[in-house]
Order: sequence, then structure tokens, then C-alpha cells
Amino acid sequence: MRRAIRTAFVWSLVSIAATATAWAHHSFAAAFDMNKPVTVQGTIVQVRLENPHSWFFLDVKDATGKIERWSFEAGTPSGMVRNGFKPGIIKKGVEVTIKGFHAKDPTQNVGMLRELVMSDGTVYGMFGSQQGPAAQ
Amino acid sequence: MKPRLIGLLLVAAFTIALAWFAPSVRTQTRPGAQAESPSAPAEPKPQAEAGGPAPRMADGHPDLSGVWWGGSDIGAARGRGARGGGRGGARGGTPPPTFMSLYKPEAAAKAKTLGDKDDPTLRCVPTAFGTLNVSLWDVGAVGQIVATPKMIVMLTETYHGFRLIPTDGRPHRDDQPPAYRGDSVGRWDGDVFVVDTKNFTDNTWMSAEGRVSQHSDQLHIVERYRRVDANTLEIEATVEDPEVLTGPWTAPKQSLVLAPFDRILSLNCSGIETQALMDAAAKQTGK
Repeated sequence: MRRAIRTAFVWSLVSIAATATAWAHHSFAAAFDMNKPVTVQGTIVQVRLENPHSWFFLDVKDATGKIERWSFEAGTPSGMVRNGFKPGIIKKGVEVTIKGFHAKDPTQNVGMLRELVMSDGTVYGMFGSQQGPAAQ
Repeated sequence: MKPRLIGLLLVAAFTIALAWFAPSVRTQTRPGAQAESPSAPAEPKPQAEAGGPAPRMADGHPDLSGVWWGGSDIGAARGRGARGGGRGGARGGTPPPTFMSLYKPEAAAKAKTLGDKDDPTLRCVPTAFGTLNVSLWDVGAVGQIVATPKMIVMLTETYHGFRLIPTDGRPHRDDQPPAYRGDSVGRWDGDVFVVDTKNFTDNTWMSAEGRVSQHSDQLHIVERYRRVDANTLEIEATVEDPEVLTGPWTAPKQSLVLAPFDRILSLNCSGIETQALMDAAAKQTGK
């Protein structure tokens, strides 16, 4: 039973990587370590809806109070906008929590955005809105 | 545990993984629906009647105008890409050959030295053809055609691409330096619009997404556009590149549908972070 569950879990990760690759302008599997999930909480510095992929930049305070800049790669801007993610929907200075996968280079504070959670609980995914009218 | 139960477990895990990773699965643009919030002013609907005949221009030729996509944008749960087929393999059988499968030995050897990080689109350089075998889309999944009596304009949403295609039978221009998207001329063959494109640079790939697909400046693409009805545009393409290919490549026939909005977006490309990310990953993995 444990072996079967382990096999199923591995297949899930493979599926995730394959899906990401299929929807990307570049191979996400080549750039990110799907075995290294990362969650950071910080303040949005900039959101860039642009090609080849959109980016979210945020300042994150570590345990010592030191601020580090993190960046997360998200989906293509056209896909995000058509999923209801309008420009300016996430403004500079707002507090967010971003969950994703760390870049393969462990020295970089860079990740692939899987989920962005606003302070009011609103959740956005890699390709935009997960809630609201567009999600119905 | 019984093998059947294990199989079911694997299928369930696969399905959950797909659903989990597809955040837009609940936000897809439904066919015929506006991809706009309720507070936004509604975009004008396409002029064509659903399922009706292809509209025609004053000169009698089919009007190819419209925003054309595969039913949704990248990131939506379904409808990604045009409906490709026409060469077998799409629903079983032998898969159709790819552009790269026809490489001469030297081109195949060069391809082996290239990888994901070398993809020109990471630096905002467009493709010569299109990732989804639709040149109108280039790297993306949406494009617009503006048809006039003497010129057909093809606008690509991703990377600001455009093609100005005269329809009066004139030859290729001789003052155009080699270009990412080549130089195109067009003519009508009955109700089919035939586009001949050459004079490409050799520093682009045929498609993106890390799919190594280099070509030479001898690349020559002939496309045939046919508006089957009000909502459907079929595209066939034949590709020659005698410098790198052993013979002509016929791209899978694509079937696009009219999008429920009448303007593509204007989107920037910087590629700085993405290229740096890919370079760093390549150093880590040695690829």
C-alpha cells in the first residue's frame, strides 16, 4: 500500500511538471525544482505582466529582520488577463503570501508562482484569478 | 493491494495533479462568453453570425478579418491551440513528422548542442513560424487579421509581430533586409488565400518552449488560409529549407475559431529575468 501511494505521488509530480511545460513559453521543469516547494510572505514591490512570462517581485523579511527581494515567475500576460487578472489588481505595497517551487539554482531567491494569497484570502494562480466572476 | 486498485489510485493522482496545477481551470473563457469582468464595458461582438457562411469583401473574396484563436488562451483548461490534424496521428496512428525529424545529419548534430536556455524567444525574439504551428500566433495562441482589398495584415499578440501581405500578385520586395518573420506576398486561389514567405534571418527557431528547431536563411513557407465558415479558419502550411531539411515539411493542418472579442492586446516583452533564470538553471544541471 505504501509503495502504491509513493508511486502515485511521484506520478503526480511528473504530471505537474509535464503540465507546466505544456503551458509555458519555456520549460518550467528545466528552470524549477518541483521537489522544492517554497512559501514566502512579503510586500509586493512590482508586478510585471509581460512576455515571455509575468513576474511578481516582493520584499520578504527574514527572522533577523533583514529584507530580501524575491521574484516569482507566473503565466503569460495574455492568459492571465483573459482569465480575469486585470493590470493593477495587485498594487505595490500590499501584503501577500506566495506559494511555489524554488528555482533550480539554490542561491537565487526565485520561484515559480503556484498560488498567490492576498491578505483578504483572495487566491490567484499562475494564470490569474481563481475566484470572482471570471472564475464562475 | 490489487493491481486494479493501484491503477485507479494512479489515475486519481494524475487527475488531481492536473487539476491542482491548473489554477485557471475554473476561470477559462467559455466559448461565446466575454473574457471581461461584469463592470467592464462589453467588447463589440464579432460581426459574423454563428455557423453562418464566411463573410465576403466587396471584391467577392472571403473576408479573413477577425481575432482567431483555438477557443481559449494559454492557461485555460481546454481549447489550447488550434485543432490540428489532417495528417494522421492526431487520433492514433503514426504521428506526423515534425520539422526537426527531417533534419539533415549536420543540422541534427547542431540541434544536439542546443538546449532550452538557447531558445531565442527567451530574449523576446519571435519564432519564424509558430509554437503551435500557426504563424499568426507566433509564440502565443491569439492573432488578428485585418483584411483590406489590397493588403492583408496579420497581427500577432505576442512579441508585437506583424506581417503586411499584399494581395495584388506583386513579387517579393527587394529592399527588405532578412527579417525574423520574413517577407510575405499573397494571392487568391479561388477562396483560398495563399501566402508565400521567405527572406528570413537564421537566428530564430521555428517554435518556442525550448523545442530546438533552428533553421537557415533559406527557409521558405507557403501557407493556405481558408475561411470555412463564419467562425472557422483553416490553415495549411508547407515548409522548405534545403539547407537543413532532407525534404519539404507539411505542417499539420490547423483549424482556428473566431474569438469573442475584436482586439488583441498590446503586450511587452523583456525576457531579462526569464533568460537569467534559464541560464542559472543550465549551470546547475550542466545542460
